[in-house]
Amino acid sequence: MNIYVINGPNINLLGSREPEIYGHDTLDSISKECIKQGLKDGHDVKFMQSNYEGEIVEWIQEAIKNKIDAIVINAAAYTHTSIAIHDALKSFSGFKIELHISNPHLRETFRHVSFISPAVDAVVAGLGADGYSHVIELLADLQKHYK
Amino acid sequence: MNNRLLIINGPGLSDLSNFNEFGYDDLTLEKVQQKCLETCESLGLTLEFCQTDDEIELTNYLTKACKEFDALIVNPVGYSHASSLDFDIYTSNIETITLQNKPVIEVHIANIFQKGIDITRPIKVSEGSVGFVSGFGIHSYDLAIRAVNKKLRKN
Repeated sequence: MNIYVINGPNINLLGSREPEIYGHDTLDSISKECIKQGLKDGHDVKFMQSNYEGEIVEWIQEAIKNKIDAIVINAAAYTHTSIAIHDALKSFSGFKIELHISNPHLRETFRHVSFISPAVDAVVAGLGADGYSHVIELLADLQKHYK
Repeated sequence: MNNRLLIINGPGLSDLSNFNEFGYDDLTLEKVQQKCLETCESLGLTLEFCQTDDEIELTNYLTKACKEFDALIVNPVGYSHASSLDFDIYTSNIETITLQNKPVIEVHIANIFQKGIDITRPIKVSEGSVGFVSGFGIHSYDLAIRAVNKKLRKN
């Protein structure tokens, strides 16, 4: 499978940004873990991060054009604001998963609404940085049995 | 000794034919239980898997989870937002478990947000953390079990 893992704003600060919430793993270590897990299952994982909403929209459009099999998206703070990312995801017909390192529903009320959730197949939150590799590990099974 | 995991399924989950509309044909709770057993066995976890339509029984299970189990996975269905049970009792029970630093994960078979973001409210605790997995069909449980196992190994 070809998989895009797309990360939104401030995720490049992982490891130093509020580690009591987000843990000590850095973006680089998570990226390596995802690619390693993907290789194990024969997936090609492309790991991306941007602080710009428009760039994230363009990556989703690229995934549509390149017929990518699955998108794992941690839209970070854009989760709660971006109808543009919601719309782009709606046009992507592959499997799409919303991921968060912490559980936004346990945090400030402005994080309780996600514009991403209704546009995706599945949601994973609060499993820490391990959530990424758990999801990638599961994708092989999902491809076989899900749709 | 193996770590002990309790999986609680809330009201209505004895009949999974409602999930046909989400594309999960022929899903039964027995199949879910079988898959959970296999995953737990492969990871060396001891599993108790239960389902109840009764709110008092659910509370009893949660109390049991505090005392006798190392981790909890709960599929509350609409429980977290549409229960006649005193909501405080429910969340405080879950909070007792998260405060013990035991992994707790809420699972749902379908993506509960697909029917609108305003209708559904996941479990909220003010202390400790609850993981959330929704929309992977039978695999939601699988993912949650793997995550619980990883966290238990780290603790």
